[in-house]
Amino acid sequence: MTDNAVKAEERRLPRVKPATDIIEKEDGFYIYVDMPGVSKETLVIDLNEDELKVIGKADYQMVEGRKLGHVEFGGGEYFRSFTVSHIVDKERIKATLKDGVLELYLPRQEKVQPRKIEIQAG
Amino acid sequence: MVIDLSPFYGAGTPFDRLFESLWPSMAISQRSMAYPPLNIGEDDENIYVSCEIPGMDIADLDLTLTDSSLVIKGERKGVKGKYYRQERPTGFFQRVVNIQAAVARERVTASMRDGVLDVVLPKSDESRPKKISIEAV
Repeated sequence: MTDNAVKAEERRLPRVKPATDIIEKEDGFYIYVDMPGVSKETLVIDLNEDELKVIGKADYQMVEGRKLGHVEFGGGEYFRSFTVSHIVDKERIKATLKDGVLELYLPRQEKVQPRKIEIQAG
Repeated sequence: MVIDLSPFYGAGTPFDRLFESLWPSMAISQRSMAYPPLNIGEDDENIYVSCEIPGMDIADLDLTLTDSSLVIKGERKGVKGKYYRQERPTGFFQRVVNIQAAVARERVTASMRDGVLDVVLPKSDESRPKKISIEAV
């Protein structure tokens, strides 16, 4: 019974594709995702092989006795997924959430040194 | 007491209103009409204006309260680099909220949490409804 109620609650939140910037800088790639209303606790970042998934929930509680006169935004479930290129060092991906903006830093992999193959005279 | 909750920009035309009355949930799709999106509400004590401005520090926001309006102003700065995709808006923005009720100006508070700005405008005593008791003769 309570389980059903929880499920209904989750279904109520509309799925939103958050606005995203992808920028390349000298030290790697930066992804900025606008997620207003999402706190650190409700944010999930999932890296599965090459797929990076970002899920955040913004749930604005209605306050008892307050009437809304004009509505332009509401809660939502932000969802976005990215494909991570092989030149990104997956071990060192960093994420920071500040003021409703998620910053993902994807550093470039250290260049593999080209190896010289010595040819031996037979 | 008269409170005009219509913002400066917004669904103004009768057609928009008709559209909204037919599909109330569509109201949220005003999202793209003006930046930043804001909600306006009230209860007996206060008027509440909340606004989605991710990535802004409250110190960089310019909030001005005049006699009849609240102005939210600021600039979202972009990052330098090679952009592969840019969806987040940058640049100056401004929104004006008309408030046709007496507000206790010295008690107005604003707070920012997770990119959502909350402004609480307490109603002054004059704008609160008063009960008048009628004595039977």
